[in-house]
Amino acid sequence: MQVQTITRRVDPHLAIDLYDPEAELLLLHFGPQHPSTHGVFRMDLYLDGEIVVKVVPYVGYLHRAVEKLCEKLTYAQITPVVDKNDYVAPMTNEQAINMAFEALLGIEVPRRARWIRTIFAEMQRIASHLLWLGTFALDMGGALGGGSTVFLHCFRERELILDLFEDVTGARFHYNTHTVGGNRHDIPAGWSAKVKAALDVIASRLPEYASMTLENRIFIERTRGVGILDGELALELGVTGPILRASGVDHDLRRDAPFHAYDEVKVNVVTRSAGDCLARAQVRLGEIEESIRLVRAMIDGIPEGIINAGRPIKQPAQFKIPAGQVYVGIETPRGELGTYVIADGTANAHRLKIRPPSLHALSALPHILPGATVSDAVVILGSLDPIMGEADR
Amino acid sequence: MGAASVKSFGYLIDSVRALGTSMRQVFRPVNTVQFPDVIRPRAERYRASFALLHDEEGDELCIGCLQCERICPSQVIAIKAAGKRESPITGKKRGYADDFTLDMSACIFCELCVQVCPTDAIVMTREQDPPAYSREDLVLTMDKLYANEKSKTRSWGDATKLMGMQEAPKAPKAHAPAAVAATVGAAAPAAAESAPATKPSEAAPGSASSDPTRAPEGQVPPAPPAAPDAGAAS
Repeated sequence: MQVQTITRRVDPHLAIDLYDPEAELLLLHFGPQHPSTHGVFRMDLYLDGEIVVKVVPYVGYLHRAVEKLCEKLTYAQITPVVDKNDYVAPMTNEQAINMAFEALLGIEVPRRARWIRTIFAEMQRIASHLLWLGTFALDMGGALGGGSTVFLHCFRERELILDLFEDVTGARFHYNTHTVGGNRHDIPAGWSAKVKAALDVIASRLPEYASMTLENRIFIERTRGVGILDGELALELGVTGPILRASGVDHDLRRDAPFHAYDEVKVNVVTRSAGDCLARAQVRLGEIEESIRLVRAMIDGIPEGIINAGRPIKQPAQFKIPAGQVYVGIETPRGELGTYVIADGTANAHRLKIRPPSLHALSALPHILPGATVSDAVVILGSLDPIMGEADR
Repeated sequence: MGAASVKSFGYLIDSVRALGTSMRQVFRPVNTVQFPDVIRPRAERYRASFALLHDEEGDELCIGCLQCERICPSQVIAIKAAGKRESPITGKKRGYADDFTLDMSACIFCELCVQVCPTDAIVMTREQDPPAYSREDLVLTMDKLYANEKSKTRSWGDATKLMGMQEAPKAPKAHAPAAVAATVGAAAPAAAESAPATKPSEAAPGSASSDPTRAPEGQVPPAPPAAPDAGAAS
């Protein structure tokens, strides 16, 4: 910890009215190894007493040059690599990248594969939001009965979904179950019944989560009015997903630009207008409920048919995509995950850009943190649900 | 004073509710197992390690075609192909691999090597390798891979099954092409009607190849719902 005096100057991220220019600001390095930074994320907090005056976030500690790696690998090899970007919701990573390739090739994904992808995406949303709720409660620390109660309860239910994914794909996280033109794994016999049973368990425990968090007096006091993000500012920053919807902007790509089979089911978008941490928690818990409803509605109606439009790729060097460029954005649990591919007719992409929702969520920090206390900084950061694997990629 | 006591009373109610939540857990079944003693059953398709297989006659299945080496995204497979030689069992001339190593310290378990194998020689196992004390122990040599064939439970998938799952429908064969055709036919007008909503998987292919300058900004949003999309995309 070092004490540093910063001089008064024009700075868009500096809340100038908040601090006393005579006082010394304390520079607090928050992270990169702090348990509540959800990975390796660092921010420099300039403190006036306990109030955060200025925030300088630093990303890049988990940079693995995934985009460059994707340009070096052939199209057939990319899917298992991008799994590692958003390691809390790997399914949606695979879907985003393969949808971009399919768009370039002009492949129509079979209906059965689209339904399975939709179900996977929704189950992944449940698992991702459960993990977020658990770690968010952990961020609150001792105030929530140690916080680890909610954490362990959420992980217990998340395991049910990971088990189901394991049944289909053989892996718990890095599935590699999507491929260009469809899916690699068909769902095994009896899987639908298991899904329904698991969803019943999760649905029956949602009121418990609500009673531990949303209806918990301590939780409400720690989150209400904390870290308010204005809807217009959120749009300007490119913040998407539950954070945007908690700021009163009714935007969900599942409904607005339907991909997969979302044009065949009706998605009720959960929105809140408060824009604070409590609203974000309410939106995410509401989305778990909505995802359960969606999966229940779809699981019995999975159409028969093939799951892959083309043949599986045997020779990666022979699989070429015609020249062109495309941007495909899908709604992941964290927001809009975009993939921009420039293909040059060879087996490797000329340029591949991934637009991670977490990076844009983190860009809101310098705007919403000033004025909060240090303890609230942890809560606000947790409410943004950043995954550094995809923010740094 | 009155307000404070009301607030304290609220906390008291919350505490009682919290205790109720805790007590409910007492009567629920235990969720964890004592790991080394009790091992949970793994899914049939679970993938944890690798094995190389022999055929029924005891001949090595691997023909050293290097397909798995080529598709491996993390390039952990190294094969020394022996070229063609006579099989010690059947006497026929066929390819062999002199050496086959798989570096488990960098493997990402994507199952692509299993999928591309033309002879179903490499499969994944449901049991993991034991923890290693050195990096060299993590490298699966050819001997270890053939030993895994006997010592470990095989995972469900091999190349034939994985390829078959993707190529042929599980339903009767006559049914599947009809279903696909119906999908294509039904989806096309739907895409035309909802053109402003830009369904990526359907609307993009047509414009992608013909208009190489297509970019998120170049796409004029004709409908209000697309406006936040364009803002977020940039």
